[in-house]
Amino acid sequence: MSKLDPTILRHKVENINALPTVPGVFKRLSGLIENPRITIDEISAFISNDPALTTKVLKMINSAIYGFPGRIASVSHATMLLGLNVIKGLSLGVSVFELMQKTMSGLYVHSLACAIASRVIAQKKGLKEPEEVSIAGLLHDLGKVILILEFPKEYEAAMNEAQLKKTSIFEAEKNQFNVTHAYVGSWLAEKWRFPRSLIEVIKCHHRPALAKNVPMEAAIVHFADLLVRARGVGFAGDNFVPEVNTAAFEILNLSETDIRDVLRELEENVESAGDIS
Amino acid sequence: MPKIPSIKLEPGMKLAKPVIAKNGMVILGEGTELNETWIERIRDMEIASVFIDGPPIQTIPKEDALASLDERFALVFDKPCMKIIKQYVKEHIERLYEQT
Repeated sequence: MSKLDPTILRHKVENINALPTVPGVFKRLSGLIENPRITIDEISAFISNDPALTTKVLKMINSAIYGFPGRIASVSHATMLLGLNVIKGLSLGVSVFELMQKTMSGLYVHSLACAIASRVIAQKKGLKEPEEVSIAGLLHDLGKVILILEFPKEYEAAMNEAQLKKTSIFEAEKNQFNVTHAYVGSWLAEKWRFPRSLIEVIKCHHRPALAKNVPMEAAIVHFADLLVRARGVGFAGDNFVPEVNTAAFEILNLSETDIRDVLRELEENVESAGDIS
Repeated sequence: MPKIPSIKLEPGMKLAKPVIAKNGMVILGEGTELNETWIERIRDMEIASVFIDGPPIQTIPKEDALASLDERFALVFDKPCMKIIKQYVKEHIERLYEQT
């Protein structure tokens, strides 16, 4: 089939509000976040005014994804502690999880596990904001959801191709669409006014060498994704572990103990972190 | 911390997370050691499952887990760095089965 014009593709991706199956909360949140004139307080208030959303966001914050010792009881406290980007990211993540489950079963668990692994690795590397890297881990595959919603038949074909030819879903997407979920995810991150660093990590998580501004963060999410797939947690479109980018693996310079620790935290916490609904 | 269905709870198990009622009230705190009474209460309240302290419970046989690992690595097992990554994951999985 002929490949879709990238401009049309991007236009469709950015018009998620036109999709009937996208949850209302997600649409409203998306509309709010992409508005450049909206303040942190207004976003915080939007979340606080929705009891279901607040519960889910706070549950996530108090879960193993962040590993905070204390309990954070309010959205405003969370916003002050974690910053706007983390709160935006978490809200988007929790409001889309049911949709994620419907479009690709296992993708949500995969994303949660990546969030956990990213946070643990970021802490081990002494990054100042491991929570932001965790958000990249959580949202890195959101592009797949939008592609499936907008182009279900084409995505099904891509998944079949991946299975038959024993390739990655990433490669199959390239063949079907000319762009991958990584690019689509980065368009969404731009639309939602996330910082350049986060946009770049999402865009480059399969090709971390292309991350000029944040090579460490991109390497972290790249490796977290790989490790989660290696352990077989959840499902992200294919059942194969991708080849690690050797330069990224070198920058990370993780010891055997480091990797064991990440795997252990994943094992202990994925199920409980996934208890979000 | 494994999630155990209420039917399978046994006295002596310790809660890894608090048990919370539908209205948000904490019924049993984290760390509570369950006895027959508490277990019955949990079942009466129709709580489906709780998180218990302890090593994760493996639901598939070790051979299957390791076979799946081989399948997942089928395309990359001979690529640089992948051998050692696979080895770490394999050892992690083997350790899980040693704990039970």
